[in-house]
Amino acid sequence: MRKLLLASAALAAITAGREAGAWTLEEAAAPYSGTTINALFLDRPGYRAAMALLPEFEEATGINVEIEILPYENSREYQVLEFTGGGDLDVVLIDLVWIGEFADAGWVVPLEQFYEDEALADPELNLEGFFPLLLDAFGTWDGVIYGFPFDNYSGVLFYNRCMLEEAGFDAPPATWDEVLNTYGPALTDAASDRYAFALQSMRGETQSADSFMRMLWPFGGSLLDENFRSNLLSPESQAGLQFRQDLMAYMPPGIVSYDHAEAVNALAQGQVAMITEWSSFYGTLVDPSASTIIDCLAVAPEPSGPAGRLPALGGFSLGVNSQSSEEEQAAAYLFIQWATSEAIARDYVEAGGVSGRMAIYQEQDIRDKYAYVDPMVESWQAGVPEFRPRFPEWPAISEIVSEFGTRMMLGEVSIEEGAREIGTRMEAILEQAGYYGGDKPLLQ
Amino acid sequence: MSAGRGQGRLALPFLAPAVVVLLAIGIVPLGYAFYNSFTRFNLARPNDPQLFIWFDNYLTLLGDSSFHDALLRTLLFLVMVLPFQLALGLGIALMLHRPGLRLLRTLTRLSLVIPMATTYVVVGLIGRLMFNTEFGVVNDLIGALGIRPVEWLGDPVFAFIALGVMDVWQWTPFCALVFVAGLTMVPYEIEEAARLETKRWWRILAHVQLPYLLPGLTALLILRTADVLKMFDAIQTMTRGGPGTATELISVYIQRHGFKILDQGMASAQAIVLLILTIVLARLYIRLVYREVA
Repeated sequence: MRKLLLASAALAAITAGREAGAWTLEEAAAPYSGTTINALFLDRPGYRAAMALLPEFEEATGINVEIEILPYENSREYQVLEFTGGGDLDVVLIDLVWIGEFADAGWVVPLEQFYEDEALADPELNLEGFFPLLLDAFGTWDGVIYGFPFDNYSGVLFYNRCMLEEAGFDAPPATWDEVLNTYGPALTDAASDRYAFALQSMRGETQSADSFMRMLWPFGGSLLDENFRSNLLSPESQAGLQFRQDLMAYMPPGIVSYDHAEAVNALAQGQVAMITEWSSFYGTLVDPSASTIIDCLAVAPEPSGPAGRLPALGGFSLGVNSQSSEEEQAAAYLFIQWATSEAIARDYVEAGGVSGRMAIYQEQDIRDKYAYVDPMVESWQAGVPEFRPRFPEWPAISEIVSEFGTRMMLGEVSIEEGAREIGTRMEAILEQAGYYGGDKPLLQ
Repeated sequence: MSAGRGQGRLALPFLAPAVVVLLAIGIVPLGYAFYNSFTRFNLARPNDPQLFIWFDNYLTLLGDSSFHDALLRTLLFLVMVLPFQLALGLGIALMLHRPGLRLLRTLTRLSLVIPMATTYVVVGLIGRLMFNTEFGVVNDLIGALGIRPVEWLGDPVFAFIALGVMDVWQWTPFCALVFVAGLTMVPYEIEEAARLETKRWWRILAHVQLPYLLPGLTALLILRTADVLKMFDAIQTMTRGGPGTATELISVYIQRHGFKILDQGMASAQAIVLLILTIVLARLYIRLVYREVA
């Protein structure tokens, strides 16, 4: 009897030991040691941060991560050609607007099959620890999780506090109306090449996402109504687009050729006083080699419009390629789980990344050190996941929006004509995709 | 007869590699694009069947104002740059054709190759730097003349002109070299005799040299037209087709359909229309300009 008790106690101790500290990345990765996985990264701060931490992962797991770096503009095309041509990409980079397309096509695997596998799932994965808006918008399609938020942005207002103070303002504008009617005239002096605001509007996703859509939501407008018909001719959408047109009086000439780099640079060199840009550009604006306004730089949430504060939302999640082998899929999942984990969130943020984890932004020292944190976290409390529709048709619609959006800004078509043209062409795409037949769910 | 058949049998293995390669990299892809142009085929919709839709893509193109605009813009670009390239090229060729200063002429001929040897992507990047509003050399130069800085790449008209300037810079030397080759074909005695007759250079050009320049001119017209219709890399790096659609020439438009929207069916139809246009223009040039020297 005594022997039996001892044996039971020993067994219990072993089981408890396994439960308490059993899962380690090293052990989980042991079967995949030596596996090489391929990932696509962009040349942006969040990716450089992950690359700086990567040796830690490779050393712990024995998994080699090969990284291809591409400009954003070519990254979707590259991945689609990888999927259709049977390439060797394993870790898929999913922009918020590609998730519908990638998931519908079956190119990415539901992550459930990994995070419900005890051998692979980190017990501290804590899916609830991601900002719900980010996990929902960047990683989830039709209720299924395909990616974990990795490179996360909110639109914020970066401004030159010194220029504002010189003009007599002790706080940034709280509303878009103030930007146009109060701050715009006071901060613009075209003769000395100083402007109040720059809105990156270059043809491409920059025009459709950063410029066009940014001005719809705060004014109560939207691209589509509840029946997926164009809503661009509604008074609210027209008001937003007209506002953008009016605001151009306080932007540098040639704003239609400004991409992110030009807008950030205009602020960094003191040419403009305010920009609404992705939070991730904070790193560039405090880099002494790129910015002359480090001491004057301040960050606030984007101004609100008549419909409230609905800032731009953007970002990427990491997913697993459905065509990869089982080993590569498991290794890719382990990498994604590690790169988006709470455990490395601090290191990731300190290396220049923007984590999608809530806990890290509650740390006071992080909030004190990075001025973008509070406005960004505030913006993520409420937002529109469909800020840009995430269905598979978006890339085609984005091309149309960006063509006529830039032509509107240049005055080649009127706002009403442009909106009508976008609406007609967009509805033709949605019609062909089968949304109006009643059998395709209106998911965006 | 049997010798001929024997020769044919002998020729086959010699010709076969070239024919196979040509088939593999030229004819088969062209045939595939031709087939695709009659289908609804989007790479981003792997689950949708590739439907055969006959001429639907072509009919859609007929009503697509953006496609027409891009085509017209391309022709306008061609009409803008070609006269400059031909006139400047001819001017340079005539100067190089004059006797004397042998070393200098050789150096000039060599330096003419440099713009042509530069890849389009680099030409676009150089253009982007040169025409930059803040620190570009072009605004520096016109500033020295007292002209206010111009927003070259942010203004639709100026961006179109800037792109044209870069194209003229890159391809004028090619025209010059082709014309130089044509001028050297003129028999020395005839040209000498003509020079004794008249001192007026344009009369010599019109009556003696021009017939020898026409074959080269036809080749230039065909090559430059095909080049402009295919022009993509320089635009992509210099303006990405913008601002708005100001520099979106037809190849940029097709690339957008093929690799942004990934609509292979429509992009193939557009490319086939472009191919037909190129062939028609080439035939037209040959009919109107080309003359054999008697």
